[in-house]
Amino acid sequence: MNIRFFCLTRKDLKLIFSGGSGIIQPVLLGLILVFVFSLSTPIGEEVSAQAAASIFWLATSFALILVFNTLYSMEEINQARTGLLLSPMPLQLVWLSKAFSGLILLLLAQLFFFPATIVFLGQESVAGWWNLLGVIILVDWGLVAVGSLLGAVSQGHAARDSLLSVVIFPLLIPLLLAGIRMGAHLLGDAGDENLSAWAGIAFSFGAVFTGAAIILFPFVYNEY
Amino acid sequence: MSDNSIITRSIPALAITGAVGLVVAQYFIWVYAPVEATMGILQKIFYFHLPLAWWGLISFFVVFCSSLVFLISKNPFMDRLSQSAAEVGLLFSGLALATGTLWARAAWNIWWTWDPRLSTTLVMWFIYAGYLVLRQSIDNPHKMRAVCAVLGVVAFLNVPLVFLSARMWRSIHPAVFGSRGGGLEPEMMTTVLVCIAAWGILTAGILFYRVRQLDLKDRIRNLFIF
Repeated sequence: MNIRFFCLTRKDLKLIFSGGSGIIQPVLLGLILVFVFSLSTPIGEEVSAQAAASIFWLATSFALILVFNTLYSMEEINQARTGLLLSPMPLQLVWLSKAFSGLILLLLAQLFFFPATIVFLGQESVAGWWNLLGVIILVDWGLVAVGSLLGAVSQGHAARDSLLSVVIFPLLIPLLLAGIRMGAHLLGDAGDENLSAWAGIAFSFGAVFTGAAIILFPFVYNEY
Repeated sequence: MSDNSIITRSIPALAITGAVGLVVAQYFIWVYAPVEATMGILQKIFYFHLPLAWWGLISFFVVFCSSLVFLISKNPFMDRLSQSAAEVGLLFSGLALATGTLWARAAWNIWWTWDPRLSTTLVMWFIYAGYLVLRQSIDNPHKMRAVCAVLGVVAFLNVPLVFLSARMWRSIHPAVFGSRGGGLEPEMMTTVLVCIAAWGILTAGILFYRVRQLDLKDRIRNLFIF
């Protein structure tokens, strides 16, 4: 089962990077968002840590949509999805491998978003780089759990990007609120003392949707 | 088809009872219930706002339950019930948001607060609006039913997290108004209960009517396919 998981993940990542365009679109979209939102503040005026964190997570959310649309669209070519469905492995492995691939791609994209946030939004202080990494991974867990569960939903439609956005974004709100508050604290906003509660929200979100995905994914990813 | 025959027979009774109940509720709202001391007659929007919010969220719970049952049993009736409940819930929660906004503007001169209940209702409105968009976007009816059932389950699992996060978020922003929970006069409480009951009966009537409509639509569609 481990071998199958790694084979699927490797297959997806090789296809994404060999094609060349798979990761570029999410990164460009996120960078454009960060840049455009930086224009909302008059020159010389500071962007608050909370605003910067909000823009970072918004860019990440849009990147999430593109990443999972790309990951799931690869099997639509030549009916390759049928091959996955017929292979002797639980369908939940498909969800897990797509989620893991999506996590890697999302973290890569955030490697670009974070410096852009520092540069364009004027964030001078970062309190605890390891804490920041932990927060990003914690929130990304919830993002990819939902993205991988619902990413298969919109395949086969011309408006799949907008459809997935409409479906996923409202579901992500509690997670985004947690990411924004924790991110704001680590970017220097000491206003909120209740970080452990926000971390609990993010952890609960990831756990609930991971459990839901394990049970519900076979209903989403099937041949109808 | 016993589900459908029970539903069909109950629609007229529910509709008439609901209409009569709403008329009776008007007496309770405008005559029986006293005028609130602080907000005056403006407070009476509460008797519309609360039942709409309750029955909207209960409709979303019906979506959750019927989606679960559909995933287990594959009964198309449950899918129709999910769709109907989502539509009714969307309408009622939208009206609850609108009345809540008007009340906040008139009473406290603001259009929106981060009240956890309002925020939860707004997020649920967005989620179920997406649910209905998804239903219209998938051509394959078997895939549509399964996918929408999954979304119906997942959407409601999110409710506690949305409420908690909205409440924690609001603690950062001081509340503009004090808690309005508790402390209702007995006459006001009676009026609230009458309104909730009347709106509940009407909600059931609308829901069953819509289920019946969707059943007929499916039957007509099947006539042309086979």
